[in-house]
Amino acid sequence: MSRNNVKQVYASQSGSKSTARRFHVLKNLVLIAMLVIAGRLFFIQIIEHDAWVAKASEQHTLLETIAAKRGEIYMMDHGEPVAVVLNQTTYQIVIDPAITQKDDIAKVLDDYAKDYQIADLDDIYSREGLRYAIVAKNVPRDIVEKIVAAEVPAVWLQKTNQRVYPEGDLASGLLGFVNAEGKGQYGVEGSLNELLAGKDGLLKTTADVNKVALSIGNENIKIPAINGENIVLSIDRGLERGIEDLALEAINNTPASNASVLVLDPNTSKVLAMANLPNYNPANYSSVEDASVFNNYTVDIPYEPASICKTFAFSAAINEGKMTPETTYYNQHYEEIDGWKIWNAERRSSLYGTLTMRDALYWSLNTGSIHALKLLGDNPDQITKQGRERLFDYYHNKFRLGNETGFELFEAEGYIPDPNEGWGRDSTYANITFGQNLGITMLQTATAFSAVINGGTWRTPSILAEKKLTESVEDKILSDETSAMMREMLIHNRNYKVRQGVDRPGYDIGGKSGTAQVVRNGAYDDSFNELVGSYIGFIAPNGEMPEYVIMVKMWGEGESVGSGEAMDLFDSISNYMIDYFKIRPGNE
Amino acid sequence: MTNRKHKSDLIILFSTIILMAIGLIIIYAIGPMRANVLNNTYGTDYDSNYFFIGQLRSVILSLIAFFVAFKVIPYKYLQKYAKPIMIVALLLSGLLWILSMSDSGLAKCELGECRWFSLGSLSFQPAEFLKLALIIYLADFLSRKKAEGNIGKWKEFWLPLLIVCGLSLFLVVIAQGDLGTGVTLISIVFGMLLISGVPTYQYLIMLLLTVVFAVGAVATSSHRMARVDAWIATLTGSESSDSTYHVDNAMLAIGTGGFFGVGIGNSVQATGYLPESINDSVFAIMGETFGFIGLLLILLIFTAVLLRMLKVAEHADSDDNKLVVTGVFAWVLAGVVVNIMAMTGLVPVTGITLPLISYGGTSMLFIAFAIGLVLQLSCYTSREVIRNEDISSRRRLRGTHHASRRRSS
Repeated sequence: MSRNNVKQVYASQSGSKSTARRFHVLKNLVLIAMLVIAGRLFFIQIIEHDAWVAKASEQHTLLETIAAKRGEIYMMDHGEPVAVVLNQTTYQIVIDPAITQKDDIAKVLDDYAKDYQIADLDDIYSREGLRYAIVAKNVPRDIVEKIVAAEVPAVWLQKTNQRVYPEGDLASGLLGFVNAEGKGQYGVEGSLNELLAGKDGLLKTTADVNKVALSIGNENIKIPAINGENIVLSIDRGLERGIEDLALEAINNTPASNASVLVLDPNTSKVLAMANLPNYNPANYSSVEDASVFNNYTVDIPYEPASICKTFAFSAAINEGKMTPETTYYNQHYEEIDGWKIWNAERRSSLYGTLTMRDALYWSLNTGSIHALKLLGDNPDQITKQGRERLFDYYHNKFRLGNETGFELFEAEGYIPDPNEGWGRDSTYANITFGQNLGITMLQTATAFSAVINGGTWRTPSILAEKKLTESVEDKILSDETSAMMREMLIHNRNYKVRQGVDRPGYDIGGKSGTAQVVRNGAYDDSFNELVGSYIGFIAPNGEMPEYVIMVKMWGEGESVGSGEAMDLFDSISNYMIDYFKIRPGNE
Repeated sequence: MTNRKHKSDLIILFSTIILMAIGLIIIYAIGPMRANVLNNTYGTDYDSNYFFIGQLRSVILSLIAFFVAFKVIPYKYLQKYAKPIMIVALLLSGLLWILSMSDSGLAKCELGECRWFSLGSLSFQPAEFLKLALIIYLADFLSRKKAEGNIGKWKEFWLPLLIVCGLSLFLVVIAQGDLGTGVTLISIVFGMLLISGVPTYQYLIMLLLTVVFAVGAVATSSHRMARVDAWIATLTGSESSDSTYHVDNAMLAIGTGGFFGVGIGNSVQATGYLPESINDSVFAIMGETFGFIGLLLILLIFTAVLLRMLKVAEHADSDDNKLVVTGVFAWVLAGVVVNIMAMTGLVPVTGITLPLISYGGTSMLFIAFAIGLVLQLSCYTSREVIRNEDISSRRRLRGTHHASRRRSS
């Protein structure tokens, strides 16, 4: 018993020796593990600290633009502004495929938003690790409310703003459109984009995993958005609609494929109608195949209005006291200048011989306007340097042709050739008198024409009803007498229209036509296969000052569209306007 | 040979309370964020104080359990009922398995793993009870085998041991899919075995076999292998992906903390970026909140607790007591080391909570109870262990002592 006892004690004591060693192992295990962890923490928290902070800021910072509300566009209707371009708030439906159940969201989309679905759910759910997917776009509010009511987890909404056009394609060439990035393109939307767009705000904040802003962190920034301004155009909606209907009818019934119409108030230079046919649907601009339909031809594209410009050459010579409508010259159907024979389009034998300048304008004789140029240069037998310079001064500096007018929308500058630089100045300037060899826009032409007939004052054209964005110029460039003589000749031009019953009695309607050959490969196409027809005129109650200037341009690629087609459209527009504005006839 | 009762280990006592308090503070700070994230993501309706109140309840219950184990229930009783306790623990886990297979409402499952009994608003995780039961059972078993001199024998020792441990591991790892508890159980078993006096070569062979078995179990399971792949991706700094998301964000939280931390209430990672922010990942949130200094302090507290437990174990007055304390030590060690190493990308994520701090009722309750037992046993340690080791002097001393006593009687 006692020996046994001793043995046991011995065993236990040798055991406790090795046990002590094993406790030592455990102690070291603890110390080593803790040292490894401490070292690792030092590495992550001290050495790698900056890198983790950078990574954290990337993950936690929510940078969001606060969208500014885009301004709306209005036209006038009987003195009241009416909206033609509006905003609509729609929603994007976003899901987190890791949480949102596929069947749930599929059912909701099927039930309510099938038309707005933009993504294939099978595709979304086949992608691993996807936490964000847009499943529907442009969803209107009432449908969104139904989707929200369905309470599918991890479905959220993003507001987007969309342009809507209550008037459909009305004045699309004038209005332009807003592209997918929210930037205005062409027309008013493009030209006045900055004004309409306003300024987006910025939200920079620390956010939780659901992108909800947190109050943690002191680098949070919120810059509120500045909403865009509404724009009221001086365009009359009803007039625009009526003119577009007539113009569309005209291109449907003539070889022309395009028509542009511009209506100005000659006493204010306010634009009342600006039509470019055919229109396109600005809500669906991306389906347009030929980008040329986006052009606002009345201001974007300089061209040759041809004989319409005789009005300006005649005005210059009369205003300089060099001629009157009764001044005569000898017409032999052509003039030879710089070795070129310049022919009249109208060569009936009865016109051969001595004619008044009034007759020359009536028959639109090129020899007549060339004669005006000669008179301007104080030499009835030939074109002189002084004549060229005076004509340039009138065209370029007084009528501001080939110059930006200061209009609020994008406009092309165009050009008037220099009177002295280059070869063949005399023939070039002979051409300029009847509106060829230059490039000017319809707006420049109509503004200059307004000055011719309104008593001689050139005013900066404008399309905004009230707001002033540009400096307005008022320049008395012609005498009252010159203007009166020009009005008389222009009304005289349409005497036969009165006789034909096209122009109603009681109204003074004056006008001038223009048919331009098209320049092909740097030279005029003498085959006359493609012509651009223009017509410009005014409407006034009998014996009173004109209230409206109408300019029409019609053309079609490869088509011979003469001033006849343009004049027909002018006729129908002028009659429409008398009714539309209830213009009372004059007393005489 | 029993020592006189003396004062308990104050370091373990206060460290335990401090760690629980830290856990309470951190849950107080991030609980509202957690509630907010869950409400926003899953449409739940948690009050912002929900998690703090839950943690407070856990801490109060755990403190009660802690003091009951410390002062009320003498360990001798538990030792006496070691076998029935173990059987009950195994039965509970087995019952859960059966309930979960029969889709019973009594089994609460999360992400396809059924680890909880659910009784109304109360839930109970039998795996936590199993850890405690295994410690009590093994302490009894190993000390008996040692006394019988059967340590290391196949039939008497290894076979029953393997059956009990294998059954426990099966119920936890396979039936409940709880790899974290599996790691803890293995840590407990090998910690206790080391102290049981198993011959070194047998110990090492068993360790090797376990490692081989574990590698095999991981390699044959795609979802376990995915965790290893993710861990390797984290270590090698490859492109982050879904699988590395958890550890990436844990390290992001820790790294953002820097030296001093971002301060209480300023954790951004807790607002939904870091998964399991209130339980398994709470260490990372503490890293973000308290910084390197704070984590070092927490490590120091855990280290102190662990070393003091080892001291209590070493000085315990019986093999059984030594083994129990070592088991609890291994439990805490596994929790601390495996959790923190996973959060810092040093080992794959196994889903193990940080003892005493992580949100969760059952785990805190049982580990507090276990530490309470350690404290109870710390009152019965001998002061001088050196004396035991000095065989010759001791024998001499004792010999004369016995002799004189015998003579006088």
